[in-house]
Amino acid sequence: MVKEKKFYLTKEGLEKIKKEYKDLKDLKFFKTKGEMPKIWHSEDLNPEYLSFQEDLSFLETRIAELEYIFKNAELIKTPPKEKQNIINLGAQITVGVDGQTDEFEIVGTLEANPALGKISNESPVGRVLLGHKVGDEVIVSSPIKTVYKIKKIKYLTS
Amino acid sequence: MEKILNFLIEIGKLKRLPRRGWVIRGIKNPETIAAHTFRMAVMSWLLGRKKKLDINKVIKMSLIHDLCEVYAGDTTPFDSKFFSKNKKQWKEITKKWPRFSKKEKEENFKRKYKKENKALKKLILNLSPALKKEIIHLWVDYEKGLKKEGKFVHQLDRIENLLQALEYWKKGKQFAIEPWWIQIEELVDDPALLEFMKVLDKKFHKKKSKDKK
Repeated sequence: MVKEKKFYLTKEGLEKIKKEYKDLKDLKFFKTKGEMPKIWHSEDLNPEYLSFQEDLSFLETRIAELEYIFKNAELIKTPPKEKQNIINLGAQITVGVDGQTDEFEIVGTLEANPALGKISNESPVGRVLLGHKVGDEVIVSSPIKTVYKIKKIKYLTS
Repeated sequence: MEKILNFLIEIGKLKRLPRRGWVIRGIKNPETIAAHTFRMAVMSWLLGRKKKLDINKVIKMSLIHDLCEVYAGDTTPFDSKFFSKNKKQWKEITKKWPRFSKKEKEENFKRKYKKENKALKKLILNLSPALKKEIIHLWVDYEKGLKKEGKFVHQLDRIENLLQALEYWKKGKQFAIEPWWIQIEELVDDPALLEFMKVLDKKFHKKKSKDKK
């Protein structure tokens, strides 16, 4: 049997997706009634919404996608105090790399945004950092060898 | 129609604008922004077609992702903190992938987003409301990686850049290739693109098996 993909989400990330789901359900309701609330015209809204206005099947596809995410979502929990010295999902870490310092947060793929320092646990770097402690030197070596020295691990208490 | 023509004339400037990342590394006659966009659009189609993506949206997103640079110009991660007016220092600066604190990353992201959003709105000002909306929404998804299409195209943008870097590097080895691989390994998590990275590694870094014989 094919193993279903798990979606690791922070509490904040899960709330965001729940809101999108609710909004889309509302939109579908209005659309099927032939109405369109003014709120959907804002450009700050989800970019999908435009296509949804044009095509009901896109809207239904996204709703189904979100339902799949809910079904397979796993909330990232802050580990117990004795395990907070180990990098896990949700860890905010400071590393030394290439003579410089960088700050990352390890998140699930849905919330990853490296431009903001949110590294996916499924990226090559995210994967190798998991399970390590302060003082460890983690090597990513394909094809260029890079050493990440872990300086600090922190978890935001939920 | 005239408004569309004017828009096309404006975006035609991207056929002449060189990518800044190559300029600061001293590449002669570097690729333009339009050249990068062209190959990225083809890549997004070829590498995205087997994924459960809205491929029409993915290709459109690739085509529009850098349009804002007509007015915003091209920027590199080195520009915000490490940039030096002294061209002699550029080679040294670009040897390492630039690192930032969480706060700096947030500030850089906001600054770039604001500048490019403003430029894009100026560029599409006279297009029809439907086209304007579609372009803005595609761009926001790409910039913020909101949905699977936005995430895929965002990662693909870096992969195309890596491919071009490898091609230039293989030719003259006049700059350090390490920063490209480092950023890519922090950024890419899409299985199809991770697979493609292995192919790039094999093609450009590892000797072919027949060479070993």
